[in-house]
Amino acid sequence: MAKLIFVVLLTLIPILCTSFSPEKPSDRRILVLLDDFAVKSSHSLFFKSLQSRGFDLEFKLADDPKIALQRYGQYLYDALVLFCPTIERFGGSIDAAAVLDFVDSGHDLIVGADNNASDLIREIATECGVDFDEDSAAMVVDHSGYAVSSTEGDHTLIASDDFIKSDVILGSKKIEAPVLFQGIGHSLNPSNSLVLKVLSASPTAFSANPKSKLTSPPSLIGSSISLVSVIQARNNARILISGSLSMFSNRFFRSDVQKAGSPTKHDKSGNEQFFTELSKWVLHERGHLKAVNVQHHKVGETNEPSIYRINDDLEYSVEIYEWSGTTWEPYVADDVQIQFYMMSPYVLKTLSNDSKGRYFTSFKVPDVYGVFQFKIEYERLGYTSLSLSKQIPVRPFRHNEYERFIPAAYPYYGAAFSMMAGFFVFSAVHLYNK
Amino acid sequence: MAVLTSSSPSPPSMAQDLLNSLPKTLKLKTKQQELLIRVTTLGLIYILAFITRLFSVLRYESMIHEFDPYFNYRTTLYLTENGFSEFWNWFDSESWYPLGRIIGGTLYPGLMLTAAALYKILHFLRFAVHIREVCVLTAPFFASNTTIVAYFFGKEIWDSGAGIVAAALIAICPGYISRSVAGSYDNEGVAIFALVLTFYLFVKAVNTGSLSWSLASAFGYFYMVSAWGGYVFIINLVPLYVLVLLVTGRYSLRLYVAYNCMYVLGMLLAMQIRFVGFQHVQSGEHMASMGVFFLLQVFFFLDWVRHLLGDAKKFQAFLRITVTAAVSVGAIALGVGMASGYISPWTGRFYSLLDPTYAKDHIPIIASVSEHQPTAWSSFMFDFHILLFLFPAGLYFCFKRLSDATIFIVMYGLTSMYFAGVMVRLILVATPAVCLISAIAVSATVKNLTRVVRAKSQTIQSGSGKGSSASKGSSKGVVDNSQPFQKNGAIVLLLGAFYMLSRYAIHCTWVTSEAYSSPSIVLAARGAHGQRVIFDDYREAYFWLRQNTPPDAKVMSWWDYGYQITAMGNRTVIVDNNTWNNTHIATVGRAMSSYEDEAYDIMRSLDVDYVLVVFGGVTGYSSDDINKFLWMVRIGGGVFPVIKEPDYLVNGEYRVDKGAAPKMLNCLMYKLSYYRFGELTTEYGKPPGFDRARGVEIGNKDIKLEYLEEAFTTQNWIVRIYKVKPPKNRW
Amino acid sequence: MTVSSTSKDARDLFGALWSAYSATPTNLKIIDQYVAFAVFTAVIQVVYMALVGTFPFNSFLSGVLSCVGTAVLAVCLRIQVNKENKEFKDIAPERAFADFVLCNVVLHLVIINFLG
Repeated sequence: MAKLIFVVLLTLIPILCTSFSPEKPSDRRILVLLDDFAVKSSHSLFFKSLQSRGFDLEFKLADDPKIALQRYGQYLYDALVLFCPTIERFGGSIDAAAVLDFVDSGHDLIVGADNNASDLIREIATECGVDFDEDSAAMVVDHSGYAVSSTEGDHTLIASDDFIKSDVILGSKKIEAPVLFQGIGHSLNPSNSLVLKVLSASPTAFSANPKSKLTSPPSLIGSSISLVSVIQARNNARILISGSLSMFSNRFFRSDVQKAGSPTKHDKSGNEQFFTELSKWVLHERGHLKAVNVQHHKVGETNEPSIYRINDDLEYSVEIYEWSGTTWEPYVADDVQIQFYMMSPYVLKTLSNDSKGRYFTSFKVPDVYGVFQFKIEYERLGYTSLSLSKQIPVRPFRHNEYERFIPAAYPYYGAAFSMMAGFFVFSAVHLYNK
Repeated sequence: MAVLTSSSPSPPSMAQDLLNSLPKTLKLKTKQQELLIRVTTLGLIYILAFITRLFSVLRYESMIHEFDPYFNYRTTLYLTENGFSEFWNWFDSESWYPLGRIIGGTLYPGLMLTAAALYKILHFLRFAVHIREVCVLTAPFFASNTTIVAYFFGKEIWDSGAGIVAAALIAICPGYISRSVAGSYDNEGVAIFALVLTFYLFVKAVNTGSLSWSLASAFGYFYMVSAWGGYVFIINLVPLYVLVLLVTGRYSLRLYVAYNCMYVLGMLLAMQIRFVGFQHVQSGEHMASMGVFFLLQVFFFLDWVRHLLGDAKKFQAFLRITVTAAVSVGAIALGVGMASGYISPWTGRFYSLLDPTYAKDHIPIIASVSEHQPTAWSSFMFDFHILLFLFPAGLYFCFKRLSDATIFIVMYGLTSMYFAGVMVRLILVATPAVCLISAIAVSATVKNLTRVVRAKSQTIQSGSGKGSSASKGSSKGVVDNSQPFQKNGAIVLLLGAFYMLSRYAIHCTWVTSEAYSSPSIVLAARGAHGQRVIFDDYREAYFWLRQNTPPDAKVMSWWDYGYQITAMGNRTVIVDNNTWNNTHIATVGRAMSSYEDEAYDIMRSLDVDYVLVVFGGVTGYSSDDINKFLWMVRIGGGVFPVIKEPDYLVNGEYRVDKGAAPKMLNCLMYKLSYYRFGELTTEYGKPPGFDRARGVEIGNKDIKLEYLEEAFTTQNWIVRIYKVKPPKNRW
Repeated sequence: MTVSSTSKDARDLFGALWSAYSATPTNLKIIDQYVAFAVFTAVIQVVYMALVGTFPFNSFLSGVLSCVGTAVLAVCLRIQVNKENKEFKDIAPERAFADFVLCNVVLHLVIINFLG
């Protein structure tokens, strides 16, 4: 059954990510590329949380000549974690294009960069719409939003609580404690409409080299600086890019935090909750929708016709489910809309649902013939974008489907038939008269 | 072939020689002999008309030609597979995406029904032919039938000799062959038959005043209406003819019977064709016939009253009352009709007939079609050859012997010659008239000359009594005032006439084989060593589409190729040769003439998956998309003013080389045509990227495509297909 | 003055017409009545159309055209059977009537097809 659904899923939404297989959701393989195996232990809490959720992690050095993403055209992993900010060249056959192809074929990516991020990491980020500060020594400095620590530093350790307002991405439980950040800031490419700031810097932050004196105005300032960003690609592959690798570390996870100017001191920073929830989103454990079982038919019929006629009444239904991490749960929302579309929507209706995942409506085909599409374009923050379109032609009336006897035309009928009768009478008279 | 045709126009003299050599036992009476000769000659002409059109099948293969015939073929196939009811109500979702096209209501079904009927008959007779063969041979078959009709027509207006000559001339006239070679499965193929048939039956009806002939001509008209839009010519010529007869005082009751019955029944029958519908009572093009119909009624009524009264003075008084009333009522009705828009104004194509420059200024989509261009003198010469000189001579003979029938053929000849001069394709309509009138000239001349020749010989071999007694009386007059060299002169002239006719036959055969038998879907050229080179790129591309693209893929191309893509590639197209929606075509024109990124948005909005362009730069094939490009710009610019023609020109000059306009060098059409062309050396001794169709080195050799990718290019690069990339994944 | 003279003229005129017409053979008069009936029906339909609008246009056209066709064909028949018309000597009245019937059959078949 699951297989069947999967097939349906594939045929209906070809661009739906292929990495995320509902068949074996708990058995996902993740390749983690590190600069140094020390990271494996220094960031073990983050990795543990992934492993505890059923992911199979494979740790490799980024310059290991044996690493490969695919073999015989099949990808070996479902997600890639790049905790190797300084790597200039990957080992093996991997390069930036290979990583991007990995994403473009529907797989997820987590990038942890740092202030000395290499050109390679920057290139990958740029291709995803994230531009790190060009000065590789620059860090995000915030003289009012820094984290209070025992040693008065250069205010590069930032406590930020400016999260994206989305329960889907960050979970429904509010993150109370600020998140600690120390690293390079980035800006989002304005021409990229898919990239989102998950954690932004405060308005007082700026990006500069803390060691040198500021001579010119910093290129990145204020809340336009993004600290952590996510991208959901059109094929629903999800990418997480963070300007700080140390954010993921055990040290930051465990650290207490007090934001400058704030009286409350939290025993534990928000990092662990933040990344646990965010990684759930990135690895499709939340916010992943599927639409299946699209049906449409004339009112009173059950079979799907290959063509509609103008002014037909039809019923349309679709089932939408959300992946909860273990099972497909009905997705309930009141804002799913259907378009009956030919160059522009002729019908735009909100679907009603039965809380069991089934969405349905009925409407009248417009009085226009042509090749229409049933279109559902459902794009909500954090959720996979559903884009269903199903082509269906609409034909005009057949010659025998028009109204046959029109009352207004009865005099004409009468005239025509009286002429015929007249013809017979006349013929008879004419012949008789001769 | 030349021998055959040159022998046919001389039945009387040949008959004599032939029969003299026959054994005595086979001797027939003169009348029977003549009949035998006539039937044999007609039979030969019938066969000749058919086989001379088979060049294309022999040269290439049995296939459908050109563009429109592919649509006709596709619809015929649909008709034979799904039956008439489905065909009549066919809504085609594969063309004009996403608008679709109601095929049943927007075509002239005569051709398809004819071919399907032939197919059914052949199958009933247990000939298991494929429908394609039937379609390929429909046009030659109807051309053969036309010769028979031409014979009867000629007989009706002049005599049977003229009929035979007319049949022979029309059998091989290039002007007709151009549209009726095997494979040219187009409306005109059957329509010319229907046209000549209608005219013949109408003339017959006028001559006899019989209702049944008139009914027959109404049916002929119905068939014509069902087959071709050119029926408008009939519905205007016939009333014009009636009007001329009225004006010249040749009005007769026969004319009244013939015209009224033909008009009323023909109009009713024509309304059964969905595409024509109510046009007979609504469009301005058909109003003349209606006006003449009412005029005839008035005329008849007045005539009748005058007859009843038998008194001129009383009739004058009557006339004064009725005419004032009738004229005012008629004028008011017409004025109201025009003002309320109930009677639609004339269509652009009709205007362009009356004013040849109209289309060029107002409707680029009509002007862009090469067959809508004004005709050049050379093509008259090419299509008519000696008929062009015989035509005035024939007119002279017609005027010398004026009758209702000759007036008709004269009017047909003159009007159709005018229209032929306005539009190239209308040479076709003029062809039967030219052939008939020329046949009168030939027949009358040859008859006169042979009479002179035989008048002498009769005095020598007196008493043979075999000469036609009819010519005897008149020949005496010729002999009496004959000049000394008249006989020799006549023989020389006769030989000259035969020489000219044989030249005509040779010319026709040559034109048919060289110019008009090319299917244009397969191109032929001469190689460097004189051998024939066949470019089969079109079909290669269409079959690639059929086999390598998803069944619901949408292909965007310039509209010329729409019919072929749907028929051979079986894929949905955005626009096709049925140019009913100018805006849609303009959208495609705009996409082709925009920069790639702007074009991408347009293509996305139309769900385009593939773009197909035709490119002749490698082979030197000149009717490719780059040469048609200015029409795309004009048609696109006609609807979307952002596209401006001067942007693509340099000092009013259209160039593709280094000096070309920057917009030209970067528009989609240029990029798609010349993508990777800069790497290719097409001709020895020329730089890479040398365009052989235009004879220049292209101006932009480094073409990068961002939103499209090359999917397929045919062997000789004539057809290039590009795939529209999906939107970027991460942006 | 002119009005009265015109009306007098007209009266004279129609009187003369009527007397001339009375001389026509009976079979022609029958045809004339038939034609008048058809024309009358056609006029009624046109008036009706002007009142209610053109909506079932094909019905209107077929109704009117059936009348017009009938009238025209009958007039044609009248011309052909009228012995005064010398042009039609070679068409026998029987042949003319047969043609007339044929045309009418076609006319009415087409009308029936077009009516609905």
